[in-house]
Amino acid sequence: MTAARAGAAVPEARNGSGTALAARTRGLRKVYRGTVAVDGVDLEVPEGAVVGMLGPNGSGKTTTIRMLLGLVEPTEGEIELLGMPMPRSADRVLPHVGALVEGPGFHPFLSGRENLQRLAAAEPLLSGRELDGAVSAALERVGLADAARRKYRAYSLGMKQRLGLASALLVPRRLVVLDEPTNGLDPAGTQEVRRIIAELQANGVTVLVSSHLLAEVEATCTHVVVLNQGVVVAQGALDDLLESGSPTLFVSTPDGASAVDALRDHRIPARLAPDGVRVDITTTAPATVIETLVRAGARVDEARRERAGLEDAFARLTHDVGELVGELDPDEPELVR
Amino acid sequence: MTTQGPVAARGAAVQGRAAAPDADAVPPEASPVRRRAPIGRLLRAEVRWIFRRPRTLAVLGLLVLLPVITGVAVDLTLDGATAAPVDAGPGGAPGAGGGPPIFVTMATSAFVLPLGSLMTLLMLLLPLTVAMAAGDALAGEQSHGALRGWLLAPVSRGRLLLVKTVGVLVVALVAAGLVVTSGLVTGFLLAGTDGLVSMSGTELSVGGVLWRLAVAVAWATIYLMAVGAVALAISASTEHPMLVVVGVLGGLIVSVVLMQIPALDWLHPYLLPSSLTSLVDLIRDPVSFDGLVEGAFRAVCYLVIGLSVAYARLTTRDG
Repeated sequence: MTAARAGAAVPEARNGSGTALAARTRGLRKVYRGTVAVDGVDLEVPEGAVVGMLGPNGSGKTTTIRMLLGLVEPTEGEIELLGMPMPRSADRVLPHVGALVEGPGFHPFLSGRENLQRLAAAEPLLSGRELDGAVSAALERVGLADAARRKYRAYSLGMKQRLGLASALLVPRRLVVLDEPTNGLDPAGTQEVRRIIAELQANGVTVLVSSHLLAEVEATCTHVVVLNQGVVVAQGALDDLLESGSPTLFVSTPDGASAVDALRDHRIPARLAPDGVRVDITTTAPATVIETLVRAGARVDEARRERAGLEDAFARLTHDVGELVGELDPDEPELVR
Repeated sequence: MTTQGPVAARGAAVQGRAAAPDADAVPPEASPVRRRAPIGRLLRAEVRWIFRRPRTLAVLGLLVLLPVITGVAVDLTLDGATAAPVDAGPGGAPGAGGGPPIFVTMATSAFVLPLGSLMTLLMLLLPLTVAMAAGDALAGEQSHGALRGWLLAPVSRGRLLLVKTVGVLVVALVAAGLVVTSGLVTGFLLAGTDGLVSMSGTELSVGGVLWRLAVAVAWATIYLMAVGAVALAISASTEHPMLVVVGVLGGLIVSVVLMQIPALDWLHPYLLPSSLTSLVDLIRDPVSFDGLVEGAFRAVCYLVIGLSVAYARLTTRDG
């Protein structure tokens, strides 16, 4: 897993030119009353990419995002957003950045439209004449046009989340930061968020999206940053991260238990899977594995190399997966490391 | 273990996309320029938000009603038993504005009713109104997560405090103005232009009454802004608007208690409610401005200190 270690994958993007990174941090650290929330984070968000920030609850995702946006002063470290230092250049950078952080924050006694108008009034890039149009367009884009006149108090969780998304899209942005954007959304709503992210990317907008839903990130992102306990455990292109896992050979066999025993006797890491065994072939050639199995008298019906899913990669990278039990398949046998 | 190939390919693809911006994308090469939302637009949005808030409207409604209730109640009592001494002013605060002789004869006049109501309400209900507004302005917004929206727009924290302070100022002015207007209208309806008499016994013209009431509203607004500045300082330090209201009212009550202790008379000039009695000077003819000026000066001191603390807290707090 050291292969995908921070920075290994991204220098390509940075070497291009000075502006190739939409966001970058160096040695970012945040300590809250003696508790280290984020420690030594070197984040790199290539311009034009959709970067998924992945990690269990409390891994420092939101704190990192809040520091990126200048909401929180870092204890140590440097931040660059759109090539300018933060939080010093906040008034130049933030107009080009849309953000949904820590859930939507609106006033219950105002309608969805009034809430957005209040936010739009503060947008430096909107002229007075453009305000109403921008609000309508944002509402339309997240599918809230029909509910715009209803009080925010009466909104469902998903509608609140959409309104938050609309506030990030009030102005054409260069970078959009979404913290858990699919929280509370039904499958249709989740699809819509994916569509919006894809649209943004097609327009050259960089997207940084945090999530604890693995499938979500796998489906929408080009790059991944994995945080665990305040530390970046991996970052790079999604494809690389998936490749970088230990290569696995799936052997379909009715004699699973004895096959695993035989392999372990030969110091080949293996674990039982439904209808067969999974064998780690980092240090062993597939031919050797099959030979070993056949010699041990296990029947081999089929053998194929497997590409690890993000789920596997993630489990590998974060030792403590307790937080994610809900997202992981409970039937999945324990990984043999 | 890492293969660099796919990374390079992915990177190139990303570059390609970024280099061909679509119509609604900002050209990536454009360097961000310093631009700010016009302050007038922020103020309009803030004031609109304040006066859409149900509890603001409720308390303002109460402030309009109280002088009416007082005027009608005193009027009925006077009709019933003219000789009986009556305690005037909402809540019947004794000694808040002169003694029974004046209030008995002209308690419902268009001069004493608004001024008496203002003096009485300045003790608790008007400070409560302002503290509520200040509590909602920062702590309340923060607890809803709505403050973040403006900070990310971005609105700098200095401008944010300016907008919030103006918002509280508007509430203070409107609240004080409503009390006096309501008292004035009620007085005219009940007594017409009768009883427009100063404490010194001179008759006052309607114009003389009006400018005195205007001074009273202005002075009350300054006094309330002192309260509001302290409330904003607390508001910038907490997420609980209730804490702001409790803190401000608690502080005022403690101040009033301390004012009752003669041994602490050296402390009294530093206590905000010490100014309240000077509003009575407006009933004299000619008006003695010494106390009012001293009270305004005291209020401005509180205002400066309160806003300084609020600014310090707001600029160092996490958004």
